[in-house]
Amino acid sequence: MLAAAMAVESEPGAKTNASTFTDVLRANQSMVFSIAYHFLRDRAAAEEVAQEVFLQLYRNFDGIRREQVTFWLRKVASNRCIDYVRKRKVHAAVPLDDVPEPSVSGQPDDLLLNRKLQALVASLPETPRLVMVLRYQEDLMPDEIARVLEMPVRTVKSHLQRSLAMLREKIGRSMGEIR
Amino acid sequence: MDDLERQLDLECHLKDALTRKQAPDWFEAKVLAAAARETSAPAGFWQRLMAGARLRWASAVLASAAVLASGLAWQHERAVRERTEGEAAKAQLQLALKVTRVKLRKIGQKLDQMERN
Repeated sequence: MLAAAMAVESEPGAKTNASTFTDVLRANQSMVFSIAYHFLRDRAAAEEVAQEVFLQLYRNFDGIRREQVTFWLRKVASNRCIDYVRKRKVHAAVPLDDVPEPSVSGQPDDLLLNRKLQALVASLPETPRLVMVLRYQEDLMPDEIARVLEMPVRTVKSHLQRSLAMLREKIGRSMGEIR
Repeated sequence: MDDLERQLDLECHLKDALTRKQAPDWFEAKVLAAAARETSAPAGFWQRLMAGARLRWASAVLASAAVLASGLAWQHERAVRERTEGEAAKAQLQLALKVTRVKLRKIGQKLDQMERN
């Protein structure tokens, strides 16, 4: 493993870039992996997509400004996720309407609810799903999401409102009042 | 009550549900190994030749220039051929007229001779 990392750094003239690439990889791997994981809900697929994203970064590393790397990674990860789904015709395992409502006895279980919410988000169509992941995983504001996904801010807001309404309805049926 | 309210807050729950997950421990090493394979893979002759944006641009410009030059050369050659063919046709016509004129003159001379006889 270490030998592999050293092999990259041992390329003549590439030591500085390679070590910087390693730093960027180390700092952002969880971010990229999580975007793919929450979008695809499949660890192996998320790893594959995340690796492709970082290899693309490696090939274009010299042309990307360091302050733009995070933005670039989010943008490429989003595009790669959508490409992955479209190329392999991967659909959400269960459509939103078919996701069973959480059965809650007494006080709601956070873990159970989290899993249910993850499943519900994964059941959304591609674009609203990405919007939700970028909003709640990355804590991006609608204008930032709009820049990453290259779409109007009002479209992002509309996706957010509709997705939240659907989730609220689905969860609310079994849990009562949810703001 | 605060806890209950927080639990019921959908957006808070979404943030909890969609928190970042740790990439697998071996992920970094796997990416670096893949990058190393890309770096060490020997590029083919044409890949090396065509590498670099400047070289690609230069190739495109050269190819365009070659196409333009061959087009102009073809057009020039066609014009020369047409002119040569035109001149040959003109010469043939002049020759035919000359032959006709000579034959007419000979016929005229024979008719004159017959009248005199």
